[in-house]
Amino acid sequence: MDYSNLRRQAASLKKGLFDQGHLDEQFRQVEDLQDEASPNFVEEVVVVFFKDSGRLISNLEQALEKYPRDFNRWDAYMQQLKGSCSSIGASRMKNECMSFRDNCGQRSVEGCMGSLQKLKREHAILRQKLESYFQLLRQVGPAGAATRPAM
Amino acid sequence: MRTDVRRGAAATGMDQFPVGMRVLAVDDDPVCLKVLETLLRRCQYHVTATNQAVIALRMLRENRDMFDLVISDVHMPDMDGFKLLELVGLEMDLPVIMLSVNGETKTVMKGITHGACDYLLKPVRIEELRNIWQHVVRRKFSTRDSVNLDTYEECNKPPSADSDYVFGQVTCGSPDQSGRPSKKRKEYHSEEEDEDEDSSGQDNDDPSAPKRPRVVWSVELHRKFVAAVNHLGIDSKNLTVTPFSVATYFWSHSCFFHVYAEAVPKRILELMNVEKLTRENVASHLQKYRLYLRRLSAVASQQAGIVAALGGRDPFLRMDAFEGLQGYQAFTSPAALSTFSAHGLLNSPRNNQTAVVIQGVATSRSIPTGSSSCTTNPLIGDAAKYHLSLPGNQHGNLGQGLATSLGQAQLQQKWMNEGSGDLSTILSGNSRANGMPRMLPSVTSSPLLPPDLVECTQAKVAIQPSVRAPSASVELLEGAIGASSGPLESRVSQQSALPSSGFSANMLPVHGSFNNNGASFSSNGATRLGDAFSASFRPTNDLTVARGTKVGAGSFGGTIHLSPDTEQKYLSFGSSDSLLDPKLVWSSSQLPSNIGAHYHSMSQRSNNCSIDSSHGGRMFGQTSASASTAAPQTKFDILFSGDTSMARNASESGPQRLQSELSSSTCSFDGLLNSMIKVEKDDAAFGDDLGCDFYSLGACI
Repeated sequence: MDYSNLRRQAASLKKGLFDQGHLDEQFRQVEDLQDEASPNFVEEVVVVFFKDSGRLISNLEQALEKYPRDFNRWDAYMQQLKGSCSSIGASRMKNECMSFRDNCGQRSVEGCMGSLQKLKREHAILRQKLESYFQLLRQVGPAGAATRPAM
Repeated sequence: MRTDVRRGAAATGMDQFPVGMRVLAVDDDPVCLKVLETLLRRCQYHVTATNQAVIALRMLRENRDMFDLVISDVHMPDMDGFKLLELVGLEMDLPVIMLSVNGETKTVMKGITHGACDYLLKPVRIEELRNIWQHVVRRKFSTRDSVNLDTYEECNKPPSADSDYVFGQVTCGSPDQSGRPSKKRKEYHSEEEDEDEDSSGQDNDDPSAPKRPRVVWSVELHRKFVAAVNHLGIDSKNLTVTPFSVATYFWSHSCFFHVYAEAVPKRILELMNVEKLTRENVASHLQKYRLYLRRLSAVASQQAGIVAALGGRDPFLRMDAFEGLQGYQAFTSPAALSTFSAHGLLNSPRNNQTAVVIQGVATSRSIPTGSSSCTTNPLIGDAAKYHLSLPGNQHGNLGQGLATSLGQAQLQQKWMNEGSGDLSTILSGNSRANGMPRMLPSVTSSPLLPPDLVECTQAKVAIQPSVRAPSASVELLEGAIGASSGPLESRVSQQSALPSSGFSANMLPVHGSFNNNGASFSSNGATRLGDAFSASFRPTNDLTVARGTKVGAGSFGGTIHLSPDTEQKYLSFGSSDSLLDPKLVWSSSQLPSNIGAHYHSMSQRSNNCSIDSSHGGRMFGQTSASASTAAPQTKFDILFSGDTSMARNASESGPQRLQSELSSSTCSFDGLLNSMIKVEKDDAAFGDDLGCDFYSLGACI
């Protein structure tokens, strides 16, 4: 098992996320909060995030159908999602949230639809990358190091 | 620091605030909540997190001492964050920090106006959270001060610097923090009740908070201060310019505003003999006091003009005039203008504050006149009745005027003689600042009545004619004042009850005795009182009084503080002048408390003369009684005329009736009362500007 290699991969993956704008400084702040007391804090937060954001996106989709042109409602939903994204540092997703809200402000249904689609895409991308990242981390981490099979 | 904070800190094993500060975090977003919670823990706070506002509220309500600070998201599904903010602020008076992803100015503004002590944008950074403990400390500090200062302060005024009490601060307006002022008032009240604290002491029980040595000018302390000032400085030098000249118009006396020439801080300090009080404290307090007097004076002059007009509609309407009532001060010279919060009282435009501040400094008159005449106080309670509805103005002046008059050390002393427990106490310069203390509680209850009003109340009490039927008066007073019904003569005795009762409206039936006593009343200090009274009245539009009566009844002028916002009819206090007349024997003792009480009650009643009518009637009776008999009838006469005009403005019937009532010297108080009541009934028109029963009162007076 090449921990250093794994670690390198993990680091590289993370760097890529930052460079590509998927993650921002806030993510580092969250990472800083991880310590001996909460060794898996970041992963826990990320898990919660994806679960919650998945729910919010699906609510929003339903709202788009159920309450056509109810921009205020849509905006309210999106604001929640935006809050989550900014708390974790999901930068691209956050930008899509903002763009969605702008479209709501402009009362453009298509704009909103378009933003939502992009948002979903970003969401999927980020999820996949972070999952990989954590998998790597688990492998290189103390627990993973000992027991995980090499990836 | 609050003990609970300490407790919280101690709970963590370290009594080192902000470590261990107990934070309640509320956010429906689980991601944010988790991150926030961890951030707060990283700052070494003790964190309780919940994603539901209702749960948070429940926790807070169960035990508000469980937390030191609340951080809440703005957008939550079960409850709007602003609503939670308001509730927490109102019910628990805890600092609340808002969080939101939305940083738009208007949203932030909304947070601040709802009382948030801070507004953070998501994502929250740890650096920001490290500083949030300041809000806790700040609040503790200011709450403590405001409680102490509340005696003098206007209700909603945010706590000001130490040793500040706002003279007639007219701020009672919309509190910037919705529930908090009232909360403070409540606290203040309780403080008042058991007030005993060492005014000069600083309640330094918070070791971890930086403490600046501050002198808290409690009512007691202020009273001593005023007494000292009065003792020293009664002089004929004028402190204020304008009002004085104007005042003279109304008063025969020009002892309108006395500058406390001799009242230098050093000597005041000596007289006060309060340990731990420094000359600097006294000096700064004196400065404020002077400003206060000046302000009253200014109002008085303003009012004077109005009063002079009398015809003016509603001179009484404007309690502002009261401010000018500095006259009282003048005459009460030693003035216990102490904080005349009457001003404050008036100031708070809380609705229904019908604080009738009768600036009937009649009491003061009585006092100076010496024991013999002292029956003057009577009407303080009555004064209270007068409901002056200050239309929305925070004319603390009235109260002030009243207070000042009350404050008159002289008066107090006299009253002391009278024996009226309260009154004398109240009035005595030394004793509670113009009886404020007592009144304060009641006063404060009504937003309009700032503690200062207590003074006014005193006056009011004084105004109460020690008329016969003490019981009657009592009833008049509404209860709030705790009308201590005592005959005028008995003023003192009743008065004593007052202070304790807070405003027992000592409505001494002024009436008959008035005349009897009035004479003496006028003789001595009457003028002063009258002046004071008139002064007080005049300035305020509310009071038609202040007609140049000499009555120096500064204190006497019960200030009838009518709720500003209601166009209540205020009793035309103008007659208060007559009250001031020596004739009026006001049980001074009653004043303070009565007034306060009355005031309070009055304010309670939004109706304009609800009590007023009753009181007013009384007052009227008194006034008339005095008017007719008192030498300085002039004022009264004018008053009447003024009333007439006022009546015109207001309801014709009412005032006129009053006048007639008043004119007949024989008019018994009861009669007046009746008429007053009638007037009140009719009243809708009555004094609509004036709002006042007061109006009629004035006539009476």
